[in-house]
Amino acid sequence: MKVNTTRFGELQVNKEDIINFSEGLLGFEKLNQFFIVDPGDATLILWLQSIESPETAFPIIEPKIFKPDYVAKLLPADMNSVKLENISDAKIYSILTIPSEITSMSANLKAPIVINNNKKIAKQIVLQDNKLSVKYEMYKELKSYIVSYASDDRNRTTVSAPESKTTSNETSTEANIRRNESINEA
Amino acid sequence: MLVLTRKLGESIAIDDHIKIVVVQIKGKQVRLGIKAPKETKIHREEVYQAIQDQNTAASQSTPADLARLNEDFGKK
Repeated sequence: MKVNTTRFGELQVNKEDIINFSEGLLGFEKLNQFFIVDPGDATLILWLQSIESPETAFPIIEPKIFKPDYVAKLLPADMNSVKLENISDAKIYSILTIPSEITSMSANLKAPIVINNNKKIAKQIVLQDNKLSVKYEMYKELKSYIVSYASDDRNRTTVSAPESKTTSNETSTEANIRRNESINEA
Repeated sequence: MLVLTRKLGESIAIDDHIKIVVVQIKGKQVRLGIKAPKETKIHREEVYQAIQDQNTAASQSTPADLARLNEDFGKK
């Protein structure tokens, strides 16, 4: 189906990619259908775009990228609310707020978007953990992750290190090539 | 809305498993104790308001914001 959006123009969306938020998001309770737009840039930020409201989209990111120790501790009732049987079937995203001063960008760790990947049912779940911030500033962490990610690739392309010197988790050269390509595109 | 009057130490039962006790009254502040099953979510109302405010702020973002970030991350 074709979906009109303010930010990205008209997009073709497959029915199976539509994510259902039966309760909407807090403050956006009437919007129930969304899909994810990947702008494919180096920031690793995606958009959660509403189908019903062309102008409504939220920048989202996987919190593990900037906070590797982040755990969304879901209660049985939370799991049920998105019909999850196994946490490994879930995708977790944090909503980002990007003010004009980008260095004070923040992520909502307290109320992540939890998507049941198989059933495409999702909810913004308010976690009980009181230490989690709704406004966690993470500009530095994200930048350092992205800069190291990019420089990793640069080393591989220019130095052409022998195989034994490969330091990352990736062992296959095919994967390296693919990563280089994606960097070039961006 | 149901309104009940309670004294210090008195409580209210909601369903069979939730109990709210008035633990302390000090000037304009009331401390409440809540006994509820583990799966019951209990938050201060402000938490929901804060999340709603963040959602609204987040929805104002544009691809231009990401472009600025992208450019900034590209700098060493």
